[in-house]
Amino acid sequence: MRIDAYITEYARKTPQNIALEEGKNSVSYSCLDNDINTIVLTLDDFKHCRFAILAESGMLYVKVLMAVYRSTNIAVPLPIEFPKFSLEKILYTAHINNIITTDTQYSRFGEDFFERFGTVIIISGSASGEFLRKKIETEANNPELRLVLYTSGTTGTPKGVMLSDRNLIANAESIIKILRISSRDKGALVISPHHAFGNSIINSHLMAGSSVRIGNMNFIDSVFSLIGSDVSIFYGVPSTYRILLRYLERFRKDFSNVRTAASAGGGMDRSIVKEIRELAPDIEILPMYGQTEATARLAYLPAEDVDEFVDTIGKAIPGVILDVFDSEYRPVKPGITGELVATGDNIMLGYLDDEIATEKRIINGWLHTGDLAQKLPNGYIRLLGRKDDLIKIGDHRVNPREIERNIEENNEVSRVFVVPVHHELMGTAISLMVIPAEGTEIEKLFAFCRKSLPGYLCPREILFIDHLPLSENGKISNRSIIEEYKHVKASM
Amino acid sequence: MEQIKNDIVDYLKANSFMDNGSSLKDNDSLTQNGIIDSIGLLELMDYICEKYSIEIPEDMLTPENFDSLQGITNMITKLAK
Repeated sequence: MRIDAYITEYARKTPQNIALEEGKNSVSYSCLDNDINTIVLTLDDFKHCRFAILAESGMLYVKVLMAVYRSTNIAVPLPIEFPKFSLEKILYTAHINNIITTDTQYSRFGEDFFERFGTVIIISGSASGEFLRKKIETEANNPELRLVLYTSGTTGTPKGVMLSDRNLIANAESIIKILRISSRDKGALVISPHHAFGNSIINSHLMAGSSVRIGNMNFIDSVFSLIGSDVSIFYGVPSTYRILLRYLERFRKDFSNVRTAASAGGGMDRSIVKEIRELAPDIEILPMYGQTEATARLAYLPAEDVDEFVDTIGKAIPGVILDVFDSEYRPVKPGITGELVATGDNIMLGYLDDEIATEKRIINGWLHTGDLAQKLPNGYIRLLGRKDDLIKIGDHRVNPREIERNIEENNEVSRVFVVPVHHELMGTAISLMVIPAEGTEIEKLFAFCRKSLPGYLCPREILFIDHLPLSENGKISNRSIIEEYKHVKASM
Repeated sequence: MEQIKNDIVDYLKANSFMDNGSSLKDNDSLTQNGIIDSIGLLELMDYICEKYSIEIPEDMLTPENFDSLQGITNMITKLAK
């Protein structure tokens, strides 16, 4: 089955039930099903072709996504918060001939941006699509491929995670179970739908015949009004909660009818849990863990264990097996550090057009997550950082070495080092330590970062240093960079 | 009014994705044009509160008051009275 087939089923069984809400508008399952069919008419000549989707979050985005599925094509949602040149890099590596976009994004990105596409469809509010150009090309794609989600690519080589119908459905089924989503539930989607977490909210709620209320985090009053409008399950990354917890009284009032506060995208820290508990004592807090490479979710921490085990990721979701392997791919005993691995129907097909990267991540059917972990005696799993140098910045997984290279290649500097630093709302932001060259100007570096990197990667400060941040054994790592940063700050 | 507007533009140029050369119309959406994101808006709010010694109640944190230069300017003028 495909995700969109569930919508057809609910359109028959519970046609009047609300599927999506946005602002003052809502759409029933029956209308949603019809709107998807209208868009499908536009796409019917294309067979299993890649379609980039460049659209802001909203009901229309969901309709387009489902129509691409229903017409048996492949959806490639573009993360619209990325700067233009990052999107161009994705498009360059993804070989996409077709794009569907909204009026808003068409005028924002401009005509030139769309010249690379053979087919351009502009979709308007009433779900009617209009061809600006149409050119059908035959594509050789993995026969199971349905959705490509991009995990990185802000600076380095973008990686497209290939997902199948089976992946999407298996993961949505697991999520429905752990969150007990029923047709009476209403989920809040205020994070980006173009990434794994947001995408999983859409899939699991539509597959359960429940509704999704779509908004964003931009305007606090609007977010709280959304939460207070009978939302039963709220989803956020840790920084979402940090932002909302700035407004204690509003939090208390508008979360009073929310049954579950779910999180993913980064570890919930004890202080967030404590504050939520104080303001909404009856709420169930449900931290989850996952990766795009696993469609979305891999593990969850059962609500009753949140207070004791919040520093762990809990246990595998139904349908997934987690283990910790040593460097020879053998399971290790509790208390021994190894790499977290996972298997299940939610594990990706591989990376788009990149077999080498795929072979490194999926070995003998196990997804190697790159997260270092230990099993606890009770079977729960604790994460201990990354095997590679990746870090979480504002709940996004980023490669600091790629950011450094990108800044070095485009500016007059000798060396650049990215330092993860504490940030009140994002959890972690970055600062830069720079070994200057002749002509290095701090203002120019700031300007470059603002222009070329997404907002969460804009450095909080830029410090000049005069030597490499080497460790005792002469290597540069996140740890040696952080040590050097502490040293520089202490001597300021 | 104009002074407030210029201050905000200077802030946006110094702290967000807005180019030095680009111009922003009074009613252009800051969020839809990718000029500022949710964290950026909160930082802008903190800046405004400090600069104009005002407090912005939560129920004023709406698109009408915060998504355009004109909206922000009107809101500051109203609150600074």
